[in-house]
Amino acid sequence: MNPFEEYVRYETRRQFFGRTAGVAGTAALATLFGRDFLGGKPSRAETIPAPALHFPPKAKHVIYLHMVGGPPQMDLYDYKPKMNDWYDKDLPDSVRQGQRLTTMTSGQKRFPIAPSKYKFAQHGKSGMWVSELLPYTAKMVDDLCFVRSLQTEAINHEPAITYMQTGNQVTGRPCLGAWVSYGLGSINDNLPTFVVLVAKPSNTEQIQAISARLWSAGYLPGTHAGVSFRSGGDPILYINNPSGVSTDVRRNTLDGLRALNEINYKSVGDPETHTRIQQYELAFRMQASVPELTNVAGEPESTYKLYGDEARKPGTFAHSVLLARRLVERGVRFIQIYHNNWDTHSNVAGRLPSQCKDVDQPCYGLIQDLKSRGLYDETLVIWGGEFGRTIYSQGGLSHENYGRDHHPRCYTVWLAGGGSKAGHIHGETCDFSYNVVKDPVHIHNFHATLLRLLGFDNERFTYRYQGLDQKLTGVEPAKVIQEMMA
Amino acid sequence: MNRFLIAIALVFTARFATAADAGAPSYNRDVRPILQEHCFTCHGPDSAARKADLRLDRRDDAIKAGAIDVTDADQSEMLVRILSDDPDEIMPPPKSKKKLSAHDKEVIRRWIAAGAAYEPHWSFIAPKRPSLPHVKNESWVKNPIDRFILEKLEAAGLEPAPEADRRTLARRLSLDLTGLPPAVEDVERFVNDAAPNAYEKLVDRLLASPRWGEHRGRYWLDAARYADTHGIHFDNFREMWSYRDRVFASFNQNMPFDQFTVEQLAGDLIPNATLEQKISSGFNRCNITTNEGGAIDEEYRVLYDRDRAETTAQVWLGMTAGCAVCHDHKYDPLSQREFYSFAAYFNNTTQNAMDGNIKDTPPVLFVPRPEDRPRWESIDGEIVAARAKVVERKMAARAEFDRWLAALKPNEFPAKIPTDSLAFHAPLSEGNGGQLKIEVEGKSRTIDLSAGTKWKPGKIADQAFVARPGVEVAIAEPGDFDTNQPFSHGVWIQIPKREITGSAYARMDERDDHRGWDLWIENGRVATHIIHKWPEKALKVIAREPLKPGEWTHILVVYDGSAKAQGVKIYYNGESKAVDYQVNALSETIRTKTPFKLAQRSEGSRLDDIALQDLRIYGRALKADEIQAIARTSIVAAIAAKPVDKRGDSEKNDLFAWWLATLDDSYKSADRRVNELTRERSEIESRGTKAHVMNERNEPAYAYVLYRGEYDKRRDKVEPGVPAVLPPMPADYPRNRLGLARWLVSGEHPLTARVTVNRFWQELFGSGIVRTTGDFGITGEAPSHPELLDYLAVDFRESGWDVKRFYKLMVMSATYRQSAAATAAKIEKDPANRLLSRGPRFRMDAEMIRDYALAVSGLLSPRIGGPSVKPYQPEGVWEAVAMPESNTRNYRRDHGESLYRRSVYTLWKRAAPPASMDVFNAPSREVCTVRRERTDTPLQALVTLNDEQYVEAARNLAQIALRQGGATNETKLDMIARRLLARSFSAEESRIALASFEQILAHYKNHIDDAKKLLETGESPRDGSLDPAEHAAWTMLCNELMNLDEVLNK
Repeated sequence: MNPFEEYVRYETRRQFFGRTAGVAGTAALATLFGRDFLGGKPSRAETIPAPALHFPPKAKHVIYLHMVGGPPQMDLYDYKPKMNDWYDKDLPDSVRQGQRLTTMTSGQKRFPIAPSKYKFAQHGKSGMWVSELLPYTAKMVDDLCFVRSLQTEAINHEPAITYMQTGNQVTGRPCLGAWVSYGLGSINDNLPTFVVLVAKPSNTEQIQAISARLWSAGYLPGTHAGVSFRSGGDPILYINNPSGVSTDVRRNTLDGLRALNEINYKSVGDPETHTRIQQYELAFRMQASVPELTNVAGEPESTYKLYGDEARKPGTFAHSVLLARRLVERGVRFIQIYHNNWDTHSNVAGRLPSQCKDVDQPCYGLIQDLKSRGLYDETLVIWGGEFGRTIYSQGGLSHENYGRDHHPRCYTVWLAGGGSKAGHIHGETCDFSYNVVKDPVHIHNFHATLLRLLGFDNERFTYRYQGLDQKLTGVEPAKVIQEMMA
Repeated sequence: MNRFLIAIALVFTARFATAADAGAPSYNRDVRPILQEHCFTCHGPDSAARKADLRLDRRDDAIKAGAIDVTDADQSEMLVRILSDDPDEIMPPPKSKKKLSAHDKEVIRRWIAAGAAYEPHWSFIAPKRPSLPHVKNESWVKNPIDRFILEKLEAAGLEPAPEADRRTLARRLSLDLTGLPPAVEDVERFVNDAAPNAYEKLVDRLLASPRWGEHRGRYWLDAARYADTHGIHFDNFREMWSYRDRVFASFNQNMPFDQFTVEQLAGDLIPNATLEQKISSGFNRCNITTNEGGAIDEEYRVLYDRDRAETTAQVWLGMTAGCAVCHDHKYDPLSQREFYSFAAYFNNTTQNAMDGNIKDTPPVLFVPRPEDRPRWESIDGEIVAARAKVVERKMAARAEFDRWLAALKPNEFPAKIPTDSLAFHAPLSEGNGGQLKIEVEGKSRTIDLSAGTKWKPGKIADQAFVARPGVEVAIAEPGDFDTNQPFSHGVWIQIPKREITGSAYARMDERDDHRGWDLWIENGRVATHIIHKWPEKALKVIAREPLKPGEWTHILVVYDGSAKAQGVKIYYNGESKAVDYQVNALSETIRTKTPFKLAQRSEGSRLDDIALQDLRIYGRALKADEIQAIARTSIVAAIAAKPVDKRGDSEKNDLFAWWLATLDDSYKSADRRVNELTRERSEIESRGTKAHVMNERNEPAYAYVLYRGEYDKRRDKVEPGVPAVLPPMPADYPRNRLGLARWLVSGEHPLTARVTVNRFWQELFGSGIVRTTGDFGITGEAPSHPELLDYLAVDFRESGWDVKRFYKLMVMSATYRQSAAATAAKIEKDPANRLLSRGPRFRMDAEMIRDYALAVSGLLSPRIGGPSVKPYQPEGVWEAVAMPESNTRNYRRDHGESLYRRSVYTLWKRAAPPASMDVFNAPSREVCTVRRERTDTPLQALVTLNDEQYVEAARNLAQIALRQGGATNETKLDMIARRLLARSFSAEESRIALASFEQILAHYKNHIDDAKKLLETGESPRDGSLDPAEHAAWTMLCNELMNLDEVLNK
């Protein structure tokens, strides 16, 4: 048997057993986090078994590190030395080409070029240029696949984040994590398939809104929505017994509850009663498994050497990526981490260093850790924001400090592991980091490539809604970027 | 088998079992589903996706193109291509991955051979009242609904379920009609009612309950996407709960649905619209809005129009219009152009694209409290009349004034200014030199000023003191008051600009918890602090109205020594101003040794560049007329002191104004009346709320077709219009939302009545007759009982759109009254209960589950309406997602009654819906929802097991059982069962429950501290006389029983 068929068989079996909620006749249809049971029967939506994989998958897990606000690509990865000669000169109209601007700078009289104040150096065999703000990331450039030519149409945060996450600027579509949950299903009976962690940046001057709509299941069954683990209090809402209620007392009540529900089932015969009994048992198991997951007390000192001391503090980005590794170890499919405050309209110099410090070592630690645990090849790590930033300064410009407005035409993201091509640098922008001059990658194509790494053909990975076969990558055909894949 | 065939099998098996095999296939039933699935994507309504310029969804086009040849079926190109083996010829093409079965091909062949008759989609044909089916079991039928249901059951070889027992029915009816479980006594009354119409009496009683409107309205609020925040970016508070209450009232008064429709969509456009009708127009103001910095107005205007068009289409037409935003609808006959024509109805509002992050984004209207309504409606008229009287007196009095002026002796004025208890006075009018004259407790002295003191022209004397950096004026004695000492202080002030903040004068020690008091200016608004320790033991009162920069204003602050913010009044120019109480927690002493200082506190908070004159501090609370005297007399005293020929006209007018206000009793009483009325008006305003309403621009509405839906890619300009597939808009209807609304409820409209009754049906039976509640189009599911749907739609419309009558019809049916118990045969033949072979049983909605727990435990507040409340919620739910600038970032939960209001009153933040309800599939209310998901997850179990409010409810239910449940454990348990389930437990159930109880009790007897901890859950008081172990054990038993499947299900 070839490895692909074997994998599919394995996964099918896992899905069957893993998802069986013990309801006769609907076994293969139930997924871990619940089922629509309008009228007692799964709707047609739910009767679609998870779609079969179209290709041998490279990645089985995804850790998506979203830098909310839009990091300035020319201060981090997109090295533009010629801009030093352009200091405080106006951005040529031939570069801007009528690009629409946000109303924050559309009233500006001038668009003076702000060269990056940070030093860049080339690293690794790939020779990737990296800013001095990211010394750890610089050490691992040969593991990463950089895309310097990602493109979006959105110029404001809400639509742009939504676009990056759901493939559409208007809210209401399923996000990438929900699609992956729908496509791959669960391989852990005691944890959600799709987990969201909202990390707290050390600086919070320019926070953007992040809401549950970003991890909603959209038109997919609600079971595929992300479950947000909280950094403070209980990691999952209501996971702890009430004060003064021991596990024994809880077990006792659940035993009584189960016996009474069984009697009810005998007289009424509603199959949902059985489902409910199972879900109460799963809730009880989660009360043990979730604290076990989030209790990092057993992590050795070496973990903190690797990720940095910040990883000891719940809620930090470093702690969140450590949890992400623990989630991957336990079979969770998709971990979405949000790190906020990258929206540097002003004061790049005051804010960017702490933003980078928040994420630099933890990202490095995560990748080394995944490697040493043998999880790297099957885990796709994604780093990036929702758009880039302008080469011209928003507000006051000096050699020491400047601001940058939103910029949709190019921004830099990177992938690691999960079948992405290590040490690859994809795409190129003009001297102004304003327009893509080589290998543009639209969000839809980026998504198509991610899906391919997970084993799906984006054109066939669909869900029927409002009479259409809906896709993450939208109506127009999207293209897989082969060069980004190992 | 595709889903259409499944649906067809369900719907038509009985009557047309052989239709597909013999005789002509029907287009709607047999042919369209095949074409739909295999052909229309490329040869259907969507002009952009159409291949070979061929469309097969219209007969004339298909025949003209040669695809169909009715004279010789086998010559039809369509058939030739379908039957071809050639991969280059065959349709559908192999790369589409779609394939026709032999059966499908045969159906198409026979259909063409029989003449290829097309039919419009069923839902676009106006419903006709069908004849009532004949059934075998006539005795089962209670009303027409039952005939349609029974006909299909009999055809499927199923028996209806027996009628449910009275206790079950009492519970089901109460939940369906009021959203709440029945009271124990109501159940008993019904069970023991021997009258033949006992059931109907119960139905009528429940329909008359004000809870009916709340419960029905809740479903509507999902469709209307009502919430309490704006939704996008800051997601700030939006004050529009008057709309929510208006919806409840509309259902409670049983407003006919056609009228309801007109008010919701166009209440503002109804001629002589009432306030209520305008509030109803808030339906189109419930959409999410933004104020993100950098957002482009036009982009959001387009999004708002689109949302309104999609919502209207979804709610009234059951159409998924959103598909036509970017291109012609793939399946339904709705072109992109028609979509934008439809959206044009909503593209004519005066509303700004940016919501301003404020709670009352215009257009808004003021809504007084109901009890204030009569006054509110008459008061403006009274104010106008009272003002006229003032003017009248002013005209008449001038001659009298002139006589008085001629005889004026200037030195009479200062005597009119109160001196009683004048603790400190500084004229601040020297105008030069290094000294200030002051008067402390009646004794004059001078103090030295540092160099650099500035002066400028003043108000009541030529020169006024200007505060400048480096000039510090400190005086030891003034203002050394204690908390219970009434005092007043005031000054003439001129501020240079609005954006200044600091102390105009203060006796306050910043290093000692800000102890003392001050006159504070905050962005131009006048305030005072009175402080023992900031902010825990302090008060702060601030006027709402800012001072006008560059203008002189007389400020006076009165404190009555009560230690309450309510005891502080702030006057501008002798008039009392509306204030906010920002901090109100003063206790302990405010005395401080730090000296009194001008334009600053002990160390800082300086207010430079303000000008001051005539500063006074009194050791008592001045009366209103005294304050007026100070404010006004101090001006005229200055004028009167001048020689007659030096008084300018404006000064004479000032003098006249003073004379009127001070010496002329007729004028004073007229003026007092105006003041009383305006104060009453502003008090009514501060008690009332706002309504977000629609407001139409004056010009006719229009919109642009947008290429691919992109706001900046405008194509043709289009006028408002309705889709061609639906009946035309009558010529005499206005081309605006009012016309649109009237068209929706016009006699022959095929969709509105069907879509509406289907949604009502879904509320009671769990799913609609058309299961895809929001999609009656071609891709929606076919109705399970098409004739029943038509019967109900026509009946509803012809009844005058009588909503209560319609629900009564449903609940009076034998169908509704069936037991929910399933048999093996029913599970086999009718697994999803689509045939209604048994009564409805499904997990309740989020709000019902919470309200149920509050009701059975006696905690539920009966209050109806009013501002939204913030009950228990785990910490950090809002904080995790909100922006720091958002005013809905910090969830400060309420206390007392607000914790126990019905769930419809819970404040709904769109970015983070109420946490415990979110878990039970409550929508975010960002977009229209006509059908909630209903999942069953472990997270839900965690809510009802562990959420503080459910544990508190269990504790209260246990307390009721312990206090009122009789002597034995059995009687206590019985009381709990009756409250929870409307029935008693069987012997076996009691045995299990009591065994559970005994074990838990044994545990808590050994862990009394745990028992006490458990009993501390929730804010409601606990009866301390109850034994903690007993109470804890009953609490956990109640917690167990409140999680029964039977409790969570309707």
